Amino acid sequence: MKIYDLIIIGGGPAAMSAGIYAARRKMRTAIIAQAFGGQMNASYVIENYLGPYGTPGPDLAKKFIWHLNVYKKDLDIKEGETVKKISGCETFEKTVITDKGEYKTKSIIIATGKIERKLDIKGAEEFERKGVTYCATCDAPLFKDKTVAVVGAGDSGIDTVDQLTHYASKIYWLNKYEQPKGTQVNVARTLMENPKVEYFPQCLPKEIKGDKFVGSLVCEDLATKEEREIEVQGIFVEIGMTPKIDFINGCLKMNEAGEVIVDHRTCATSVPGIFAAGDVADTKHKQIVVAAGQGAIAALSVAEYLKNNNYN
Amino acid sequence: MVKIYSTPTCHYCVTLKTFLKEKGVEFQDVDVAFDEKARDEMVEKSGQMGVPVVEIDNQIIVGFDRDKICELLKLEC
Repeated sequence: MKIYDLIIIGGGPAAMSAGIYAARRKMRTAIIAQAFGGQMNASYVIENYLGPYGTPGPDLAKKFIWHLNVYKKDLDIKEGETVKKISGCETFEKTVITDKGEYKTKSIIIATGKIERKLDIKGAEEFERKGVTYCATCDAPLFKDKTVAVVGAGDSGIDTVDQLTHYASKIYWLNKYEQPKGTQVNVARTLMENPKVEYFPQCLPKEIKGDKFVGSLVCEDLATKEEREIEVQGIFVEIGMTPKIDFINGCLKMNEAGEVIVDHRTCATSVPGIFAAGDVADTKHKQIVVAAGQGAIAALSVAEYLKNNNYN
Repeated sequence: MVKIYSTPTCHYCVTLKTFLKEKGVEFQDVDVAFDEKARDEMVEKSGQMGVPVVEIDNQIIVGFDRDKICELLKLEC
């Protein structure tokens, strides 16, 4: 079986940047992703990435993907594959097992990013896509003239309420905390004055009820401990992100947030030969430019790792 | 006959349509953000309320399921 120098797992800016650096270093590299673009695909507009100011997220993703494909003769790009497991985690030769095959490699960069945190209450799974949604940019227009709830009041929650004011007839906005958080608090204050919006501070969702589709949401007022049931047809969940590393099986050291702990000089993890970059790592600032930079650091560190272990 | 139920702002829909175009698959794109009748039709056929939904010869696929699409359209993916 062919042995790769490096397998990169992920399809966002960290992974693509690592892919380009690895290809330029002539490492035998595979990059495995279900899809490319990562969270850029879900960004309405990106104004803080150096160069293409004010670019829609999907357009910036396309530019990154185009750039990666410049090096496709030097890379095995495996799109549409999902990594299920890494075996031989702590041995020199590791095996990456996907839903379509097994690949041996001398090193790995994990750059799988984060995914939306799911609402963990009764009915949330049962009614997902049946009124419960995690993608406001996708599904907000489907709730025209309907009553909805938004759970969460960080930047994404604020964005979601903002979008829904163009479609929904009534928006119940649930926040676990007293006040909205993030960089758009002024927008949140304006939204709270919108007659369509009813803000519930310190309110925790407890259960989702319905028949074929969502019918109501039960929530608890944390101040009074009283429960109330509100009739809604849609529930938009924006309660943060969680690292996408269910294939790790406990072989790497993680922090309390479930992020992979790395040495920020090299992106090395607690296991020799395994590196991590981007939002999946314990980086403080989750930004495209940081992820792309870490992808480069990780790939260059892999080159050093292979050299130091006489792998070249 | 391939029919896509989508919204203009949905990135999964854009990715799906780009994929089909790259594979040379012709499809009818229905914007359910504005076409309420089509929205009801999508909910009725798919039993759910999210986009995208793909209809291939009366078979319904919810989301961008590349493998299923390739299987039904007999595409090499």
